[in-house]
Amino acid sequence: MAEVSVNGVGLHVQRLGDGPADVVFAHGLVMDNLSSWYFTVANPVAQLRGVRLYDLRGHGRSARPTQGYDLDTLVDELVGLLDAEGIEQAHLVGNSFGGLLAVACALRYPERVRGLVLVDALLPRKGWGEAMVGTLATTGEERDATIERVFASWLGRHSSRKRNRLAKQAGALVEGTTLLEDLRASTSWPDEAFAALSLPILAIYGAESDVLGDGQLLADAGENVVFDVFDGCSHSVIWEATAQVRDRIVRWFGEI
Amino acid sequence: MSREDTLQILAGFIRDVIGDEWDDDMEVAFDTSFSDDLELESIEFVALAESVQAHFGDHVDFVGWISNLELDQIIALTVGEVVDFVESCR
Repeated sequence: MAEVSVNGVGLHVQRLGDGPADVVFAHGLVMDNLSSWYFTVANPVAQLRGVRLYDLRGHGRSARPTQGYDLDTLVDELVGLLDAEGIEQAHLVGNSFGGLLAVACALRYPERVRGLVLVDALLPRKGWGEAMVGTLATTGEERDATIERVFASWLGRHSSRKRNRLAKQAGALVEGTTLLEDLRASTSWPDEAFAALSLPILAIYGAESDVLGDGQLLADAGENVVFDVFDGCSHSVIWEATAQVRDRIVRWFGEI
Repeated sequence: MSREDTLQILAGFIRDVIGDEWDDDMEVAFDTSFSDDLELESIEFVALAESVQAHFGDHVDFVGWISNLELDQIIALTVGEVVDFVESCR
């Protein structure tokens, strides 16, 4: 596996496709890693462009430092990865928290981001960190239920070894690092900031998603945003409509 | 190389990927399921895909093959199906 040292942290990186890379995929928080993109959308996109996927610090097969989980540090980590991979300007593709990270990166380093593909992304609006801590700081049965829900439609459902390992890893991240306090203290932006984003954005949301409002806010912002709402889908739209999400994103990269 | 040889190569990769948690009672046969029997995590599956690709070369486009499967098919994959895929690329 490729391990790339970024700002002193060893990150697990996967490189797909030929030619210079300009698409970087970011995954969701805690119960996620690069495999979500690896087995769904990344490879078809890699037929068109060079692609990079990485595990955020503390996730998948990347190192798990005890601190540095605030949004600014994670954005710097993403930009450090772009530097390390020689990518001057990237299309960022993010699911859930990965989308929030991509948006924050575009706000802080507009010159490094060419476009955004957001799948049920939260926006870094005022209070987002506190809200996210509320859903992450669960324990025992509640956490097991979250794992069950998030991974219901992925490899190894009903697998005790996997559930235990996921719970262990999630526990180590939530309890063994500064993740929760870092999220609480993270940067946020006023709603007007998102309207000022002028780069091309494909925003895919589930019609039943609890963060649909964030997508709507982006959609209202300008003609640079293509807003696709998938009927009957929730926040887990990437799993509920994998083929459609894949086809939509591949079409986007074919046209852009 | 026979199907049995390919199976043994895959079994070696699977053991490496599972690492310390490998249980000597675990058996890898053609009908062994990645999910139900081996309980492979998706990130471990990435590592396996990497090993398969590196060993058999670019003409065995394992990741591309997986990407075209529906989720239910991936979940239900057996080691034998991966062996057959590798063999079909020869």
